[in-house]
Amino acid sequence: MLQDKIKGLIKRIVENRDDILPYAIGLSRGLCYLIYYKLFKNNVSIAFPFIVNAKVRIIGPGTVTVGKGCRVMKNAFKGLTILTFSREATVTIGNKCLLGGTTIRCQQAVAIGEKTMTAISLIQDSFLMPRNGNGEDVNGRLPRPQSITIGRNVWLGEACFVMKGSTIGDDCVLSSGTWCHDATYQDYVLIMGNPARNAIPIDKLLRLKGEL
Amino acid sequence: MRDLLALVRGRFFLALCRLRGLDVKIGRGLRIYKKISISGSGRVEIGDNCIIAGIPGDSSQYVCLETLNPTAVIHIGDDASLYAARIAAKFRIIIGDKVLIEEAGIMDTDYHTIAKDRGTPANESEDKCRVTIGNRVCMGARSSILKGTTIGDDVIIAPGAIVTMSVKPGSIVAGNPARMLSMGG
Repeated sequence: MLQDKIKGLIKRIVENRDDILPYAIGLSRGLCYLIYYKLFKNNVSIAFPFIVNAKVRIIGPGTVTVGKGCRVMKNAFKGLTILTFSREATVTIGNKCLLGGTTIRCQQAVAIGEKTMTAISLIQDSFLMPRNGNGEDVNGRLPRPQSITIGRNVWLGEACFVMKGSTIGDDCVLSSGTWCHDATYQDYVLIMGNPARNAIPIDKLLRLKGEL
Repeated sequence: MRDLLALVRGRFFLALCRLRGLDVKIGRGLRIYKKISISGSGRVEIGDNCIIAGIPGDSSQYVCLETLNPTAVIHIGDDASLYAARIAAKFRIIIGDKVLIEEAGIMDTDYHTIAKDRGTPANESEDKCRVTIGNRVCMGARSSILKGTTIGDDVIIAPGAIVTMSVKPGSIVAGNPARMLSMGG
């Protein structure tokens, strides 16, 4: 029993031996970030295995929670940016997410489920920043910011825009360059287009291709 | 303190532009929080009380104003806020007062033809290609405005929109190519 486990572990290490060094570097780098945010920022809480291979910036007074086992990939060296504009803003990221090149700008609430993969994408729960440089409100004519919910095991493709009010179900795929705004999508669909219009169930797509 | 430093930086930048011999006219009270680069032999005019900054936490925080021709003109009105905006003019780009531009690009040329040699486009002229942007326009992040567009007052351009046609005053546009989400009055 124990022997099998050890054998399996050794096999996995040998198979992924190219990934071990970046993983170890990322683990130590993530530990530094973890200690920094633990000591100096009360509003940010990050769970322990946090593997960082690119820059992480968490700015603003809002509450940020990152689950355990998240990894920030080196996606065009853009890193992870989380920006909160007010104290009421909350950003929640689930366990084991793969985040690289993502920018999250939050005025109200953004929730991302477990095991979500993201490429270079923008998640923003309002159209514009709350104020312009002279302190004037520019969002007067716009609808209020609305919260964003992204489900489990979602894959966000490159150059995605997830705008305010969108709710994305579990196991969804967002194609490259998708722009979704103020809509609810069911589980396991492929969303595409700028602006996104119709979502195709992935079951149906796989059946058409003869892969199911 | 930060604002004072930005004001000083604005004065310093103006002196630097004069020293380099650029054709630049900058109004009173320019505040520079992040990097700005002005290049090219054309004319650049910036109004009073403008702000050059970057969106906090973003990796691309440069404001680039580029003129590609000696006769090219970039005019930016008063009280403008430029957050990592990139503007490239071959002919004429006129931007009104109190605009907010976040991490967006404006250009009035295609740079190259679609033919195999990728040469300079021959059929571009100032009447066809100039870009005019009205007062109190807000541009979201990662959007861009292409040549030959006229954008009216009080327009809001959603993040990620690619504007290829003219937009009526007071409307909200989104998408690629940009379509109207709500009509203006």
